[in-house]
Amino acid sequence: MLRFIFRKIASKKWMFLALLIGNILLISIACSNPMYADAVMQRMLDDDLEAYISSRNAYPGNITVSFGGYSQKDGIVEKYESYANSIPEQYGVEALYQIRHYFTPIASNVADVSRDDVNVKNACLGSMSDLENHIKITAGRMYSNEIREDGVVEVIASQRAIVELNVLLGEKRTFGRFTDKEGNPVTIELVGVYDIKESSDTYWVKQPKTYKNEYFMHEDIFIDLFVYDGSRLMLNATWFEVLDAEKMLSRNAEHMHAALQKISAEDKDDKYMTVTTAFETLLKEHLKMKNKVGVTLWVLQAPIYVLLAAFIFMVSRQILETESAEIAVLKSRGVKNLQILGVYFTQSLLLNVLSFALGIPAGMLITQILGSANAFLEFVSRRALPIELTLTPILYALAACVVSMIAMVFPVRRYMKGSIVTQKQKKNRHQKPLWRKAFLDVIALGVSIYGLYSFNAQKELLAQRIIQGELPDPLLLMCSSLFIIGAGLLAIRIIPAMITIVYHLFKRFWSPALYASFLKVLRQRNNQDFIMIFLVMTIALGVFNAQTAGTINDSGEKNIRYLTGADIVLREAWSSNSDQVQQDPSLDLIYYEPDFGVYETMEGVAHAARVYRNEKINASVPGGTVNNIHLFAIDTDDFGKTAWFDTSLLPEHWYNYLNAMAYNARAVLVSSNFRDQYGYKVGDVINYQNTAKDSCRGIIHGFVDYWPGFQPHVYRKGTDGLYKESPNYLIVANLSQVQDAMGLRPYEVWIKTENGADFIYDYAEASEKKFPVFVDMEAEIVEGKNDPMLKSLNGVLTVGFIVVLVLCIIGFLMYWILSIRQRTLQFGIYRAMGMSMREIFTMLINEQMLISVVSIVLGGVIGFAASVLYMPIIQIAYSSIDNALPLTNQLNLSATVQLFSIVGSMLLISLLILVVIIRRMKIAQALKLGED
Amino acid sequence: MADNKKYMIQTRGVTRAFPVSGGSFMALKGIDVDIPAGKLTILKGRSGSGKTTLLNILGALDKPTSGKVVFDGKNIVKMDERKRAKLRRRSIGFVFQSVALVPMMSAQENIEFALRLARYKGNRPQRALECLKLVGLDKRAQHMPQELSGGEQQRVAIARAIAHKPKVIFADEPTGELDTTTGLKVVKIFKDLIEKEGVTIVMTTHDTGLMEIGDRVYEILDGEVANQDDDE
Repeated sequence: MLRFIFRKIASKKWMFLALLIGNILLISIACSNPMYADAVMQRMLDDDLEAYISSRNAYPGNITVSFGGYSQKDGIVEKYESYANSIPEQYGVEALYQIRHYFTPIASNVADVSRDDVNVKNACLGSMSDLENHIKITAGRMYSNEIREDGVVEVIASQRAIVELNVLLGEKRTFGRFTDKEGNPVTIELVGVYDIKESSDTYWVKQPKTYKNEYFMHEDIFIDLFVYDGSRLMLNATWFEVLDAEKMLSRNAEHMHAALQKISAEDKDDKYMTVTTAFETLLKEHLKMKNKVGVTLWVLQAPIYVLLAAFIFMVSRQILETESAEIAVLKSRGVKNLQILGVYFTQSLLLNVLSFALGIPAGMLITQILGSANAFLEFVSRRALPIELTLTPILYALAACVVSMIAMVFPVRRYMKGSIVTQKQKKNRHQKPLWRKAFLDVIALGVSIYGLYSFNAQKELLAQRIIQGELPDPLLLMCSSLFIIGAGLLAIRIIPAMITIVYHLFKRFWSPALYASFLKVLRQRNNQDFIMIFLVMTIALGVFNAQTAGTINDSGEKNIRYLTGADIVLREAWSSNSDQVQQDPSLDLIYYEPDFGVYETMEGVAHAARVYRNEKINASVPGGTVNNIHLFAIDTDDFGKTAWFDTSLLPEHWYNYLNAMAYNARAVLVSSNFRDQYGYKVGDVINYQNTAKDSCRGIIHGFVDYWPGFQPHVYRKGTDGLYKESPNYLIVANLSQVQDAMGLRPYEVWIKTENGADFIYDYAEASEKKFPVFVDMEAEIVEGKNDPMLKSLNGVLTVGFIVVLVLCIIGFLMYWILSIRQRTLQFGIYRAMGMSMREIFTMLINEQMLISVVSIVLGGVIGFAASVLYMPIIQIAYSSIDNALPLTNQLNLSATVQLFSIVGSMLLISLLILVVIIRRMKIAQALKLGED
Repeated sequence: MADNKKYMIQTRGVTRAFPVSGGSFMALKGIDVDIPAGKLTILKGRSGSGKTTLLNILGALDKPTSGKVVFDGKNIVKMDERKRAKLRRRSIGFVFQSVALVPMMSAQENIEFALRLARYKGNRPQRALECLKLVGLDKRAQHMPQELSGGEQQRVAIARAIAHKPKVIFADEPTGELDTTTGLKVVKIFKDLIEKEGVTIVMTTHDTGLMEIGDRVYEILDGEVANQDDDE
C-alpha cells in the first residue's frame, strides 16, 4: 500500500507539495501561537520583574512566613519551618535563599558595667541563618558558635544598632526575661560590628536598618537557648523564601498565582502565621495581560486558521478529483470502502508526520518573525524572543495535524459512493458547494452585522469594561473576520450574476476572445470559486490588517506625541528657600530660576519654550468652585514653534488660538466644559488661583478641548467600583501673567529637536544635572511599541497576511496551471477554429481580469468596508486608560499601497510563471486529436 | 501545379520530423498530394501512418519540416502564425475524431462562436440554426455538448465547420468513434455539403467501407503516399 501511495504522490508532486505547504503552515502557525504568546509574556514578566527589583530593591516572590507564639510544643516550629520550606516547591520556582530569622521580643536588659552618661536601651536577641556569609566585620570579630565557658553569649550588631542602642564593643548585657533551659538569665557580650557585604545582596529581604535594635548570635546558640518544645520564650520566627526571579516563567504564572492564593488562604486560617506576599498585584496584572494577549491572538488568527483548513480541504479535494476514476476502478475490482479510506488515511498520516517534523521548526521561525514585527509588514531587529518549545505548542501542533487529517480524509467520503457510471454522471453535474446550499455567507454576514449593531448600542459600557481590565468579548472581535468571510462568499455568489448582466448587455459586440472568456467564467465555475474566494479573502484580510495595524499603531504613537507635547520635556531641579520657609512661614517661598537660555542656544535644539504647568488650580465659577484645573502657562510664540500638535484636533488651526492669546496678556483659553457646564462665553472673565491662593484673572479668548500635553479626561474609580470617564478642566494662560500673579515657579522646558534627542543626554552627563521631569518623546514611542498587546497585534497581522498571501499564490498558480492543463484540448480546438495564439493569450488575460482583478477589487472594497465598520471594536479592545485622543478611523493609505504593490508583484510573478508554462506547452502540438 | 482551379491544395516534398529522445522521428517522408476542389478526398492509412500529421499540415495547423504546401494559390508554409490563423478561420473548417466541441457552449453557441471567430457579418444565431438544420439537429440547438450523443456531437462539429462557409473542411477520422450507420450518416452529410455548398473536403479514415465514397483516395503508409486512387 505504501508503494501505491508513494507512486500516487510522485505522479502529482506539485499538488502534494501545495498540500504539504498548506499543512506545514497550519501546523507552524498553530504551534507558534502559544510559543509566541509565551515568549512575549515571558519578556514582559522579565521586564516587570526587573522593574520590580530595581524599584523596590527586593526580590519578587519573597515569601515571609512569620510565626510568633508562646506555646512551643508538638514540634510546632519545625512544622512551620517545613511549611515555609515547601513554598518554593508550591510555586514551582527555585529559591535563591531560604533564610530563617529567629528573634526574641524586645526586652529590657542591664549593663554589667554601668555608664552614667546613658540609659541602657531595650533590645532583642536574634539569629539569622547564613548571616556570616553576607556581612563583613568592620570592628571587633565574628561571634563564636558556642556559648563561652563563662556562660556569656557572643553577639554582633550593626553600626546603626550600636548608635541606636548606645553600646560599646566589649560591653555585656544581661536579659533578665530570657532564660536558658536551666532558668539562668542570658548574658551577651558585643564582640563585633558588622556591615552588609554588598548593597545589592538579595539576602537582605528586609532592609538592614530594620535590625537596628537587635543583637545577633550564632543560630545554633539561639536554637539551643530558646527553640525547643516547652520553651517559655515568646518566639518570633520568620522564614524568608527568596524565589529566583530569573526562573519565574510566564507559563507558570497561573500556577504561581494559585499557589499564592492557597498560601494566603492557609494564612488566614492560621492564628500563628502571617504571610506577606508583595507581588500578587504584579502576578494578577500579568495574568490579565496574558489572558488578553491570548484571546486577541486567537481572535486575530482565527480567519487564518479557517483559510488554512479550507485550503487543505480544497487541495485534497482537487487531488481526489483527479483520482476519482481510480477510486471507481478500485471499487469495481472489489476493494472495500474501508480499504480505500485506509489508503487516504495512511497518506494523510504520512503527510502529517512530515509536516509535523517541518512545521515545528517553521513555527519557531514564525515566532521569531512575529517578534520582530514593529508595524504591519515592518520589521526591526529586536532582542530575540525567549522562545521555548514546551509541551503546549506541541499539543497545538498535534491538534492542527488532527484538523488537517480530517480535512484531507473527509472529502474521500464523497468519492467512495457509487461506481464508475455514477462517477461519470456526477462529473457532468454541477454540484453546489456546502456553503452555498447552507447560505453560510448570509449567516456569517448577518451575525457580523448583528455584532456591530450590538456593539454600537453599548459602546460606552464596553469601553469602560476594557479600561477596567476586562477581556474584550472574543465573539465581538471575531465579527470583523466573520464579516470578511461572509461578505467575501456573498460576493462570490453575486459576481457571476453581475458578469452575466454585463455579458448579456453587450453580447453582440464581444470579440471572440472576450466571448470565450465570459462563457468560461460564467459556466466553468468548479475551481474558479475557490481561487476567487482566496483572492478576495487575501486582499480583504490584507487591507483590513493593514488598516487595523496602521490605525492602532498610529493612534498609539499620536497619543504619546500628544500627551508628551514636545520632542523633549524636562524640568531642572530648582533650588529654593523652602527650608527657611519651613522655619519661618511668614517668609515668601522663592525659587531660583536656572538659566533657560542654555536650552535656547544648545546645539541640536530647534526651538525651546518655557511651560509652567499646575494641575491643582481652582476657579470660582457660577454656583461653586472647580478644582484640579490643569493650567498651562506659556509664551505663545515659543510654544507654537516648539510643541507637537495635531491640527485636526481643533476646529481652527491652533496657531489662531495662540495668536488670539498673544494679543492680550490677560487672554486665556479654556476647555469647553467651562462653556457647556458653567455658561462661559468668549470675553468673560475667569478668576483662578493656586493652592497658595495666589489669584489670577483671565479673559476668555477661546475654547479648546485639546492642548499639547493636556489629558482631556481621566477614568476615576467610582464608589461602585466602576471606572467612569470624567472630564478634566483646562486653562491656558500667558506665562508672564501667571508668573506675575503666582510668582516664579519651576517650569518645564519643552524642546523641539533638530534631529534626535541624543544631545540632551550628553548635556545631562556633562553638566551633571538631574532632571526631576524628563520625557524623551521618541524613546517613549519606542517603549510604547513594546507593549505585548501591540507587539502581538503587529506580529499576528503581519504573519497572518504573509501566510494568506502564500496560500493565495499557491492557489493562484495551482488554479491556473490546472485550468490551462485541463484545457489543452480546448485551446487546440480554438486554434483549429482559427484563433491565433495572440487571441488565446488575450482570452487568458480576459479571464484574469474577470477573475483576479474583480476579486482583488472586491477584496479591497470588502477590506476597506470591514475596517471602516469594525475598526472601532478593535480600537476599543486596544484602548488604554491614558488614551487622550478621540478614536479616529483614518485610512492608512501608505500601508495599503504597500500591500497592493506586494500582491501585485506576486501576481505578476505568478503570471510570468504561467506564460512560461503556456509557452512550453506548445499548443501547436497540443492538438493531438488523431491517433498520433 | 499550374491548374489552380482544379486543385484546392497541392503539396510537394512535405516532410515532418518530430524530436524524440535521441534523435528525430520522420512522420512524413516527402508527400506529394493534390486535393481536387469541390471533391471529397480521403486519406487512408493505419494508426501511426502519418495521415493526421499530413491533415494538420494541410489545414495550416502544423508546419512541415520541409516542402511546399500551396493552399488556394498561396504557399502557406511561408505564412506567419497570424496569417495562418486568419486563413484557418476564414477558409478552413475542422472536424475531429474525438469530440471537439467547446464544452461550456451549447450547440448553437459553438457554431456562433466559430462565426464570431470568422468575423461573420450576417445574423449569427440564424446562420447557426441553418447549419444545425443542415445536419438535422436544429431541434437540439440549446443543448450542451454533454447532453448530446457522440454522433450528434460530431454532427454539431460538422455544422460548426461549415458555418462560416469555408473553402475546405478537414475531417480527422470523423467516424472513428461512431458506429457504422451513424458514420455513414456523417459521410452522407459530407456528400450533401459538397453538392449544396461546393466545399472541398479532406478526411482521414481507416474504415475501408468508406473508401469508395471518396472522389480521390490517398493511401498513406509510413509517411509516404503508397497508393492513389481516383474515382473518376
